[in-house]
Amino acid sequence: MALVNILRFFKGRKPMDIALTALVWICAAVTFIALLSIIGHILYMGVGHLSPELFELVYTSDNLSMLPAIITTIQITGLALLIAGPLGIFTGIYLVEYASRGSKFVGLIRIMAETLAGIPSIVYGLFGMLFFVIFLGFGFSIIAGVLTLSIMILPLIMRTTEEALKSVPDSYREGSYGLGAGKLRTVFRIALPSAAPGILAGIILATGRIVGETAALLFTAGSVPRIPENLSDSARTLAVHMYALSSEGLHTSQAYATAVVLLVTVIFLNAVSRLIAKRFTKG
Amino acid sequence: MFAISVIAALALTGCAGGGAASAPAPAAPADNPAPAAAYLPGAVHVITREEGSGTRGAFVELFELVVDGQDMTYIGASISNSAGAIMTNVANDLNAIGYISLGSLNDTVTPISIGRVSGTAENIRNGSYIVSRPFNIATQGDVDALTRDFISFIMSAQGQAIAEDRGYVMVDDSAPEYESSGMSGTVTVGGSTSVAPLMERLKEAYEELNPDVFIEIQIMGSTAGMTGAIDGTLDIGMASRPLSASEQEVLDHMEIAHDGIIVIVNNENPLNDISFDTVREIFMGEVVVWAQLANQ
Amino acid sequence: MKFREQGMKAVFLICAASSVVFVFLICLFLFINGIPPMLELGVVNFLTGTNWRPTSTPPSFGLLPMIITSFITTAGALVLGVPVGICTAVFMARVCPKPLYRALKPAIDLLAGIPSVVYGFFGLVIIVPMIRDIFGGRGFSVLAAIVLLSIMILPTVISISEAALRAVPETYYEGALALGSSHIRSAFFVVLPAAKSGILASVVLGMGRALGETMAVVMLAGNQPRIPGSLLEGARSLTANIVLEMAYATDIHRDALVATAIVLFVMILTINLTFSFFIRRGGR
Repeated sequence: MALVNILRFFKGRKPMDIALTALVWICAAVTFIALLSIIGHILYMGVGHLSPELFELVYTSDNLSMLPAIITTIQITGLALLIAGPLGIFTGIYLVEYASRGSKFVGLIRIMAETLAGIPSIVYGLFGMLFFVIFLGFGFSIIAGVLTLSIMILPLIMRTTEEALKSVPDSYREGSYGLGAGKLRTVFRIALPSAAPGILAGIILATGRIVGETAALLFTAGSVPRIPENLSDSARTLAVHMYALSSEGLHTSQAYATAVVLLVTVIFLNAVSRLIAKRFTKG
Repeated sequence: MFAISVIAALALTGCAGGGAASAPAPAAPADNPAPAAAYLPGAVHVITREEGSGTRGAFVELFELVVDGQDMTYIGASISNSAGAIMTNVANDLNAIGYISLGSLNDTVTPISIGRVSGTAENIRNGSYIVSRPFNIATQGDVDALTRDFISFIMSAQGQAIAEDRGYVMVDDSAPEYESSGMSGTVTVGGSTSVAPLMERLKEAYEELNPDVFIEIQIMGSTAGMTGAIDGTLDIGMASRPLSASEQEVLDHMEIAHDGIIVIVNNENPLNDISFDTVREIFMGEVVVWAQLANQ
Repeated sequence: MKFREQGMKAVFLICAASSVVFVFLICLFLFINGIPPMLELGVVNFLTGTNWRPTSTPPSFGLLPMIITSFITTAGALVLGVPVGICTAVFMARVCPKPLYRALKPAIDLLAGIPSVVYGFFGLVIIVPMIRDIFGGRGFSVLAAIVLLSIMILPTVISISEAALRAVPETYYEGALALGSSHIRSAFFVVLPAAKSGILASVVLGMGRALGETMAVVMLAGNQPRIPGSLLEGARSLTANIVLEMAYATDIHRDALVATAIVLFVMILTINLTFSFFIRRGGR
């Protein structure tokens, strides 16, 4: 079938068309092969080392359990979203629904958001350490990590909310006003629900960024392998766990096993975001 | 566009390769056998740790690589920030040479003896292997009872046995037995990445005896550990090198174990012994190809 | 009712202002900690010095090798990654058969989501030995970092370029076909130029990612603090400089690392501002 297509394709084509078509196929193949080799490598090196003892409740240097790190990852992600989520969504609402379009203030915020989005995570780590850990005296703690990450993901959530709200047709809002609803009611009952899939996509992107973050957490949340009991405890997320396991060269295979779990998490998050997007675009 | 960029990139690396081709020719053909003492044909690939690392600090000190306060380590040496990365590198690169803690050593790389003395716990204890360093812990000022209790455990017969069991060398072979004091609370320990694996074992054994205590271990590096002990964020700092003069002024420290620093090469490298001076020359960048070792 | 409307409006405004405050805070803190030592060392000495020996006595702090390395790795990653990324985007938007698209699209999303530590592991075990085998040398090199970074920027370049290509009105494409152009030529010479601002945005974002990448680069680049003589030599990027020594640094050394962060920050800020300037001018 494919062969027939290829033959049919070459019939009566000019060399340039063939070259260009070949070019895009080759580039796509390069991309795909790069991805496959990374995933293949991690699975090949890691799956064999996944064992039940890697998921015991308490980390010891014998079982090298990643469960505390998984729980820490969930806690840090949840808390950071709890702070940056409302902040980012409300900022998006202000920019689209309240601020007069093209105002100086909106321009300023947009430039600030772009700047925040462009700052490398290591600089966030440095800032988090100087400000939260040392200046405010939080020490290496979950709270220092969460606050640093919240600032880091804020622009992402803000921009996706803004884009999603912009794509809601003005006729929806006019309809709502026409029925006598106030501004606030219109925003929360009409605009926000219509923009929900876009906002959710942004939140899932942010989750992915937190799950994969190492540099910014190493110097803020520290690296203690345990389930944190309160906000001032230090703990490590999965990505930091993987980094710590690999660093002394004693536990490389367990580090690969951790990489497998990280990979599965990312695949899961991506699948969820696609599912949400699909449901909303259909409904 | 893509094709052009690839060609450009290849041309660039090609030129670069040409520029760097001052390295000796590849392996001699089979009908022209190498001299009896076989050396690898290629260039020596030196790998070191980052500045500030306790392992590097101890290594440059021991091999007299510090001259007039300047660290003379070869500027072309690759820098890895962990023993794991160094071992992966040495295991994959035929021409690599690096150094790691005795406690990290495994069979993916080959340790070489220095002046015919191999770096075993036995040789470190009897003083014949001189490339060893102390594992230090440091505290500042008055130490609370719980921290004191944990330190007394580290220095006890049980604590020293754990160090010995992990491949390190104990500092006190007639230490008293430790008895649980039934205390509770948290001790924050932080610093050297090299000491951390040992500290983790000590923590687990101690917490088993004192279930109400939590020992928190931060892996930060030796210098950060000392800084933490000075500014009070840590109860105990760990360092895998001797303390500097300025650190000793404000901190009380003690050795909890001795650790060897092992020079490692690839498993395929025929080299198994090297002199003290040669190690120094290699890490100063004076020996650049393995064949130079034949003249030593 | 009126009160609630006004109250919520104030809440929204405060949230919006907070992002300004955060950027301000970050700038303030970095600059307070980084500028005085920069002045003390001499801005010119700091930026153009070629010796970085922070633990020697007396220490020297010359950042030029790291600035050059960051520049080379970023440029190299763009040279390799952008053409592949844009062609793949054309493929995804215009050429790809539907069933294949359903497999490729999630794959590219996945590529974007893989944590950089995982990329670093892959680079350490696969790319470094590969470069050693093909080109000789240590393997830990600027080239290894470039190859890995060019893979890491692919998803950014592809997804944003693809979105930009899809946003071009279908009439452009149809018009080209009607004038007798072939399918692939219309895609390349009509649709692609029409999407240029979106594609430029994808390149700028990719540049930011390559410039700011830390954990993966530090595992691959060799990290020697010197100006690389060739792509096969190792060198240290600005980000690697921070992450390698941050844990140890005290006093002036730590300040010098904060100053490194400022240099990085200013570089990224310059790129972003230049870009938004061009976008605004293009918009008019």
